[in-house]
Order: sequence, then structure tokens, then C-alpha cells
Amino acid sequence: MPRRILIIDDEDDIRAVAALSLETVAGWEVSMAPSGAVGIMKAQEEQPDAILLDVMMPVMDGPTTFRELRSLPETCNIPVILLTAKVQSADQKRFSDLGVASVMFKPFDPLTLAKDIAAVLGWKYE
Amino acid sequence: MSDTAQLAAKLNEIWRASRPIILERMAVLHATQAALAADLHNHDARREGREAAHKLAGVLGTFGLPRGSELASALEEILQADTPLTADDLTTLATHIAELESVIASKP
Repeated sequence: MPRRILIIDDEDDIRAVAALSLETVAGWEVSMAPSGAVGIMKAQEEQPDAILLDVMMPVMDGPTTFRELRSLPETCNIPVILLTAKVQSADQKRFSDLGVASVMFKPFDPLTLAKDIAAVLGWKYE
Repeated sequence: MSDTAQLAAKLNEIWRASRPIILERMAVLHATQAALAADLHNHDARREGREAAHKLAGVLGTFGLPRGSELASALEEILQADTPLTADDLTTLATHIAELESVIASKP
């Protein structure tokens, strides 16, 4: 069965490229949400295998969305990878304290995104 | 067509669809540059420019423009610093914005 990934990012182009990459290169199923609030609803409904979550979003940013996901019984065990364009040392500490599965960086390589996700989550990838 | 070629073709489609928003972000950077040239303490312009640079930094490399991401990151860094901007910062800002414009224009 293909992996199912939920991408939560407010930027249309990033969502489109990440989805294209994961679907085309890895054959995974991708669902997308343009905001933290919509992402939380989708995560509850769809129970994805992992969530790729943008850090900098308006209204509800990535860390806030992550804390909300962790507080809900339906989503508290779904691994979350934060996706960010920039991490300063203070942010790195803040993110690792949150308990996310990993932090990945934009810009990502569409050819290797799925492999990179599989590697940080300990998934078999061929 | 191989998977890689298919992916490249689709990425180009997404690039073309994304181009208007990328050009909008460049327009924000130009507006920021003009506003800061008039008033180095214009915090709103600085914040808007920083946000536009951040988004460009995150996306350009994904479309095969790593130099674009580097320049946008450098712009974000300049605009993010807590210290007051200097005339030298403004010069660097203008140089980076001009180069960034060329990088984006180089990809049809």
C-alpha cells in the first residue's frame, strides 16, 4: 500500500511541487491543506502516515499546528516533519523541544524529497 | 518519457503557473527597497520585504534556481537583523535584488 502524506503549507507552489514529487517519484498518495486549521481537520479525517508541515504560515504557524495535532487523540501519534526555509540556532532548539520527527529545509530537491522523508522516518524506500 | 523527464516537464508547468506570484514577491522587494531608501526605519516595509524574501528563498531552489534561493536568503538576513539598516545594507539590498531579478528572468 502506498504511503499517505499530508502536506500543510500556505504556499500553492510549494504544495504543488511537493505533491508532484511524492506522487511521481515515490508513488505515494498526497493530500494537501493550505492552513494549519484545515490541515488539522484533514489529519483527523484521513489519518495520514506522516505530515509535512510548513513552519511559517499566517494565523496558525507550524509549531502551533503541531502542538494542536499532538493534543488530539486522533493525530497525536502521526509523525510530523517541519518544513522551513530557514532555521536559526534559537529555532533549532525550539523545534527539537517540540518533539517533531525531523526538520527539513526548503528549497528541497523534488527528485529526493520522498527518499529524504523515508530516511528520517525510518521507512523502507526503493 | 522517463519519470525524471515527466517530473521535469510538470515542474516547468508549475513554474509557469507560479511565475506571477513570484513576480509579485519581486515587486514587494522593489517596493521595500524604495521605501527603505526614503526611510531606513520603515519597519513595515522591512517586514514585508523579509516575508517576500523568505518565500522566494524557500521556493526558487526547488525550481532549479539555487542561486535565487541564496540571494533571497541573503536578503532575508539583511531585512531580519534587529540592528538598524545602514547605507551599505541598502547598496547590498539593491545589488541582490537586481541579481535575483536576472536569475528569475533566466528561467522562461
